[in-house]
Amino acid sequence: MKARKAFAWFMISVLMLGLLSGCGNAADGKDDGKMVIGAAMPVFDDKWLSYMYDAMKKGAKGQKAELKMVDAKNDSSKQLEQVEKLVIQGVDAIVICPVDTSAVKPMVDAAKQADIPVVVVNRQPSADVLEKVDAYVGSESIKSGTMQMEKVAELLDGKGHVAIMTGELGHEAQVKRTKGNKDVIKKHPDMKVVRQGTAEYQRAEGIQLMENWIQSGDNMDAIVANNDEMAIGAIKALKSAGKLDDILVAGIDGTPDALEYVQSGALDVTVFQDPVGQGEKAIVTAVKLAKGEKLEDKMVWIPYELITKENVEKYVERWKGYDENKG
Amino acid sequence: MKTEETIAKKQTISHDRDRTGWKEKIPELFSRYGIFLIFLALVALMSVLTPHFFNVYNLINVVKQVSFIGIVAMGVTFVIITKGIDLSSGSLIALVSVIAASFAHPGDYPLFVPLLLGVGVGAFAGLINGTVSAKGMIPPFIATLGMMTAARGLALLYSDGRPIGNLSDSFLFLGSGDLFGIPFPIIVFLFVGLLMHLLLSNTKFGKHTYAIGGNEQAARICGINVDRHLILVYTLAGFLTGISALMLTARISAGQPSMGVMYELDAIAAAVIGGTSLTGGIGTIPGTMIGALIIGVLNNGLDLMNVSSYWQQILKGAIIVTAVLIDSRKNKKA
Repeated sequence: MKARKAFAWFMISVLMLGLLSGCGNAADGKDDGKMVIGAAMPVFDDKWLSYMYDAMKKGAKGQKAELKMVDAKNDSSKQLEQVEKLVIQGVDAIVICPVDTSAVKPMVDAAKQADIPVVVVNRQPSADVLEKVDAYVGSESIKSGTMQMEKVAELLDGKGHVAIMTGELGHEAQVKRTKGNKDVIKKHPDMKVVRQGTAEYQRAEGIQLMENWIQSGDNMDAIVANNDEMAIGAIKALKSAGKLDDILVAGIDGTPDALEYVQSGALDVTVFQDPVGQGEKAIVTAVKLAKGEKLEDKMVWIPYELITKENVEKYVERWKGYDENKG
Repeated sequence: MKTEETIAKKQTISHDRDRTGWKEKIPELFSRYGIFLIFLALVALMSVLTPHFFNVYNLINVVKQVSFIGIVAMGVTFVIITKGIDLSSGSLIALVSVIAASFAHPGDYPLFVPLLLGVGVGAFAGLINGTVSAKGMIPPFIATLGMMTAARGLALLYSDGRPIGNLSDSFLFLGSGDLFGIPFPIIVFLFVGLLMHLLLSNTKFGKHTYAIGGNEQAARICGINVDRHLILVYTLAGFLTGISALMLTARISAGQPSMGVMYELDAIAAAVIGGTSLTGGIGTIPGTMIGALIIGVLNNGLDLMNVSSYWQQILKGAIIVTAVLIDSRKNKKA
């Protein structure tokens, strides 16, 4: 009993210390006049995003601003609490990469009530939320889908049967990338979608879906996947069926793994989204807003880039550079 | 003369019994082989609905695809029979995958190193699951939920969130090679299935497993070392998950920390469809194998028919529940 009481007191004192130190930090930020940028991020353990985080940290150092980065662990309600906390701490600007773009509105409202400028990065919210935020930094999801399919259409001479492998159903990128694909196909009367199915962004599921598609005996000229991992899965299944040479495969992301498949000629097309560009620009924009400067344009686009065998080496080098930065 | 008579008598008796019992025999037949009949019905249905379903290549394809979940589901069957649950299998697949892959680069280590490490990590995680829930008196749901979260974290940490590729050919054979035209995963699936069936139905170990699930208190009183047995059962489940993870890693030719998400639920579904009762004490390995095949046939058939992904999820859910419903009604009757 005594031990338990002692333990309780110990825990309480630890919590109190935590609270005090929290106050201390907030005060520090104000006292030495250093600018504080809050960054509400969706999840820390994601490879692509981790490059964006590194770029943000580096960018903040360059701008001599303090960066408070928090992890919502893919939970929207947690992210809202975190943004509210940043508002209470009185940061000078907030960068949000939403867990879910449809749940970002209350976060923006909370910040705007306290007159704190808000930058949304990487994931584009709907038009009514965009009206309220001060800036959006990122790429336009739908463009990756159109860019990918345009290249495929070019390689197929504008005619052929296309199978689309989609990501997790209902996910923003899945919806927009697929729509981008279909918009392009509509423009080509000789192209048609013969199959569409989900492989949940995963390689293993990609193999399985492709195996079943091969068994269906349907004629397919191109497999267009919402991400690279599924495209690699399709490549594996096509290879064991001996059909890889006859069928085009396209992905999106340009991951280091996928680039190896581009180099070997198995993956014909992929689309690169620049994490470092997005991270740097998000910080630069946030600092500008915090200083009260005006932006030229509220929408800061970081364009997608098309990767094929011709230019793949450039991107291999780029990833190497990013990894060295990580150190 | 006398013996012949008795034999003749016996024959008439057994014949009579057969005749009188015909009406009760059908439900009995159904209750014994119900899920198998449902499976056959499903196969027949798919064969009618799509011309590409019923051919050797596609059937081999289906069995290969369910081998991975099937092996995990066998371990889960043991666990569920003891009235436990294992939520950690999916994450454990990811952890085993990245660790084994990092030791399977060509020319680095002999093949047995990644293999032993893989099943070793799986078994060790199972050992922790079992020890925490048996000795720590923590419900298996919570103990394995903890392992599910921790193993995924460890997998991400170990691999730095990236796939680990460049695996040796001998390792890749596990997932994509074949023997006499039969894919290697199928051979492992059937072999492990046979062994696990014998273990569950023909040994003291199996009997104790049922006994604990039927009535843990009674099993204790009967002198069964329940804690030790539970630890062994979870270790076995981890070990089997390790085997499956090795083959899956070879199949996708990379160790991936994001692999196996929700696989634990597929494995549990396979066991439950196959007649394993979540209230413990009931379940068989052949049943679980059929359960896994039902899921596989559904996935494959719906893909072949080009059913929209939204409808696929709805249909799969409905068919799984219906199959179990039919199966459980017969259990109530019996």
